[in-house]
Amino acid sequence: MDADSDVALDILITNVVCVFRTRCHLNLRKIALEGANVIYKRDVGKVLMKLRKPRITATIWSSGKVICTGATSEEEAKFGARRLARSLQKLGFQVIFTDFKVVNVLAVCNMPFEIRLPEFTKNNRPHASYEPELHPAVCYRIKTLRATLQIFSTGSITVTDHVRQLSDASARENNHLLDSRFCPKTGPNVKAVASAVEQIYPFVFESRK
Amino acid sequence: MCRDRVIDVGSEWRTFSNDKATKDPSRVGDTQNPLLSDGDLSTMIGKGTGAASFDEFGNSKYQNRRTMSSSDRAMMNAFKEITNMADRINLPRNIVDRTNNLFKQVYEQKSLKGRSNDAIASACLYIACRQEGVPRTFKEICAVSRISKKEIGRCFKLILKALETSVDLITTGDFMSRFCSNLGLPKQVQMAATHIARKAVELDLVPGRSPISVAAAAIYMASQASAEKRTQKEIGDIAGVADVTIRQSYRLIYPRAPDLFPADFKFDTPVDKLPQL
Repeated sequence: MDADSDVALDILITNVVCVFRTRCHLNLRKIALEGANVIYKRDVGKVLMKLRKPRITATIWSSGKVICTGATSEEEAKFGARRLARSLQKLGFQVIFTDFKVVNVLAVCNMPFEIRLPEFTKNNRPHASYEPELHPAVCYRIKTLRATLQIFSTGSITVTDHVRQLSDASARENNHLLDSRFCPKTGPNVKAVASAVEQIYPFVFESRK
Repeated sequence: MCRDRVIDVGSEWRTFSNDKATKDPSRVGDTQNPLLSDGDLSTMIGKGTGAASFDEFGNSKYQNRRTMSSSDRAMMNAFKEITNMADRINLPRNIVDRTNNLFKQVYEQKSLKGRSNDAIASACLYIACRQEGVPRTFKEICAVSRISKKEIGRCFKLILKALETSVDLITTGDFMSRFCSNLGLPKQVQMAATHIARKAVELDLVPGRSPISVAAAAIYMASQASAEKRTQKEIGDIAGVADVTIRQSYRLIYPRAPDLFPADFKFDTPVDKLPQL
């Protein structure tokens, strides 16, 4: 079947979501008052801190868990997370940067052709689910890669790649060391996205206009 | 011959003869519903007749009908709710039975235990209609249920996953007869609209549009070409589509209007005079 190498498909990573822990209790009120570029959501109990340099929005909980969204690559995500930890440190908290994990990768890909969705759904029954009343895209799940693809009739495909949280409790207490063991799924995440697109290409090609 | 006598587990035939007689002529228990509940083999205490059965205040001493079927009371509640919902949109008995079966399967699986029973019931109703070949839109089910469309949609996906079934895709033709008769359109217009919608989907003039929006636009085009004109707002009301949506879909099918009408259609308004939005 048509290999991905014949047609150069641009896969753009639009979002990388990662989590890390600071291993210390954070006083949200203090962060809200003294931190820069923060939004305090008191009713939910979290603080949003937006960084400019890597464009990242971080959700900080008082338990010390932080979720970073908005990065466009995994290195940026690491960068931004570290920067964030540093800014928290400057506010006076004893921050220890641990348990950094990339949790989700979102990518967008555009097929050069339009796709017939009803045909595609019929051919890929168990994996594909299409409910035009609920969402205009077909939702195709690849179990082995833990990837979910949303296929639109215009030919654009959105890939989300979930990484199941590993119970990696053996985290080292180094705040500046970013051991590659902490993000064991980093490399495979982007590769998983690419392989997901490669897998779906022949099916989508069949049902093209 | 294996049996010459079979016990009839249907309803007691004398139950409906008197409305509120003091005597309950029923000689046996309620109709047995073996498919659904765990068998209704419960004991009922009849209304007392002698003086000993009443306590000081005149109430009957032995209260009755409190613990009908201890397990699956939630399920019986849900069945009642399903019947109510189905009644509101006049669904036939076979769909209700199918819904009850689905609900029982889902309930026994317990994978959707946290969800509201009403939401699961509504989603089961939706699935049953689909499976019987007469799908109802989510909005129609919403109208008879207190659950939001979002929640019904979520439960729907979860149920399909839990029961490992899938449903057929909805087509434009499924809704034509219902929408057209609600609008009071004659058979000719209905057939024309069905033809238009089918052709539009075949020619792929409306990629990515929900079949219901396409159906609504087709009905609009067909009605505008006939003597029985309907406004977008009326059609939008019946179909549950916004009139801007009808406008969008109509714009897509308008250029090919002459090709979409059936060959033997009698035009009250010729094709070139159709409204252009």
